[in-house]
Amino acid sequence: MKLYIQNFSTYRSDRDEVNIKATLKKEYHLETRRQSEFIHLAVYGGQLLKDKISIDPSDALYMTSANGDIDVVQRSNTYVNKEKQAIKLFDFINLLGNTSSYYVAKSLGIHGKNIFQISNHFTYIHTLISLYSSLYHSQTNAILCAVDLAPNPEEIAQRVLGIEENTSLVSSVNYQKFSLQSKDAMAVLEFDTRSYTLEEMKTILASNRAKVHGSIRCKALLDNDETSFFETMPSAVLNEAMKQSNDIIYIDCYDEKYKILKLKNLR
Amino acid sequence: MPKVTILNYELYSALGHTKETIAAIKSGKTGSTFKEVQSLTSYVKTPYFAFAQAIPQVPESIEALLLDMVSKLIVSLSTEERASTVLIIGTSIVDWHLVDAINDTLYEDEKKPYSSQKRSIDSYAQNLAKYFGLNDFTMTINTACTSSANAVLEASNLISSGLYAHAIVLGLELFSPIMSSGFYAMDLIAKEKIRPFDRQRDGLVLGEALGGMVLSKRASPWMLEGGFSNCDSETITSVSQSGEECLFVMNEALKASLLQPNEITAVKAHATGSYSNDIAEMNALSNLFSDSLTFTALKPYIGHTIGASGVTEMVLLMQAIDDGFIPKTLNCEEAIFEAYQPLSSHQPCQGGTFMCNYFGFGGNNTSLIIRKEIR
Repeated sequence: MKLYIQNFSTYRSDRDEVNIKATLKKEYHLETRRQSEFIHLAVYGGQLLKDKISIDPSDALYMTSANGDIDVVQRSNTYVNKEKQAIKLFDFINLLGNTSSYYVAKSLGIHGKNIFQISNHFTYIHTLISLYSSLYHSQTNAILCAVDLAPNPEEIAQRVLGIEENTSLVSSVNYQKFSLQSKDAMAVLEFDTRSYTLEEMKTILASNRAKVHGSIRCKALLDNDETSFFETMPSAVLNEAMKQSNDIIYIDCYDEKYKILKLKNLR
Repeated sequence: MPKVTILNYELYSALGHTKETIAAIKSGKTGSTFKEVQSLTSYVKTPYFAFAQAIPQVPESIEALLLDMVSKLIVSLSTEERASTVLIIGTSIVDWHLVDAINDTLYEDEKKPYSSQKRSIDSYAQNLAKYFGLNDFTMTINTACTSSANAVLEASNLISSGLYAHAIVLGLELFSPIMSSGFYAMDLIAKEKIRPFDRQRDGLVLGEALGGMVLSKRASPWMLEGGFSNCDSETITSVSQSGEECLFVMNEALKASLLQPNEITAVKAHATGSYSNDIAEMNALSNLFSDSLTFTALKPYIGHTIGASGVTEMVLLMQAIDDGFIPKTLNCEEAIFEAYQPLSSHQPCQGGTFMCNYFGFGGNNTSLIIRKEIR
């Protein structure tokens, strides 16, 4: 499968110092009331993409995340299960996964398909597969938003991400606009549906010339000195490679199964 | 869109398993009971469609429920076919793994050790895929009331594009104190019962359910003709009362299925019983179809099962038609539009083409069209 990347946007809290809520209000003149920090982060990334490329109202939007908005689940749990109070109205609305994708779509002027989905493993890659099959039929373009907000306290997410206790979490949002057409594309992303064994991966990597990046779960294949983490990191790594005009391979691993993404710059 | 078939389907609702649910509907029963929900100051009793046997809200119980469902569905797939079968869940439930982690972090004196296993709402799908030897592609869709309807559409895309051969799609909703408290806070819960399309309607009644279906390209009497999904609404909680957003989605679903409105045998309406949702859908239906339209609402039997409603209501409709009828709409005494009356008695039906509508929070609107050949 091939998806052409028309453009991208990226934000990482460990690299960029931005007051996101204030920026949304002052620079983009967007309403931020009644929205959670998770929504602000997702909307902010969308605006960064919109600064670079035109968005068509019929574009599809796919949004994915490791666990969605953990802070709002935490607040709701406290109100209802611990303090025996009613849930706050806008916490309830923000609790639904597609609320964040609604606000992103609204801020981008999109009325097309809008899917909020989570895959426990290969979170980003499975969303790509789903997005590809949708474009195969609709022949429109699609925007993929990969977003993770480090909750407060971080320990909540650390407990469910299967990472080591000393791994620090990063808030990040990364977008790409995809098309099945190569016209005006800045890069092409190749991937497939199959998983590979460790031995198969070794063979693939032995004959590969591009730089290899991978998740911290690929310890059997890669020395990864990354001490920070967010689940949708593949999306950020691809964006960084496009920024540097590098061709790369990205590998992810779960349960001794490997998947592979190949990025080739076209500009 | 190339056609995808529905090989097998199952339902577990407040009325019981698939056959029990249909038998109860035939005899005029509904599954409504009551649940206590946290209001601003106290607990209040609200109507609710609960499972006959309560499911403890811990991951192990939810996994057991899902395992039982997939065991029934998977008989239609050979061992070889399982490797090319994906599993997709549509739900709006809060991730209980997350609540456990929150409690361990904030409230427990003796914390559980960290797990090296990643967990998320999709862990259920992943564990099931591993247990049954399915393909490792799983995902869980959360688009409120359209969650499992969108899961059906996504599964259909994955099959018809040739990426995978089969898909198991589950729609799951369980009683959630948080969700129920939220709906109550929005003043959306009916005082006694759900009255779809009735002038006296006063809200929805939530319910828990688990529905499942197997999609494939193999021959089957039931076929998914097509569908359409988008995100467009006046506000985050509702479409405009003119129903223009609903009309657009229904029209696009017909286009995707290469059908005209007069080729639709009957419509399964979303029909939540809320004031604004029903008027919007009614306006859209009356714009698209003539007043001879056959349409019905299934929520009075099993409740509004939110993220599960996509699959559960479709399964309920398919099983009823396999049993020779379209269920009547309960509790509609005076319809919003006099010329558009939902079914007032069970209508004999052996097959045809059916539109299934889902319009939800967060602007997500989905319309699916299914067909059963009349032989």
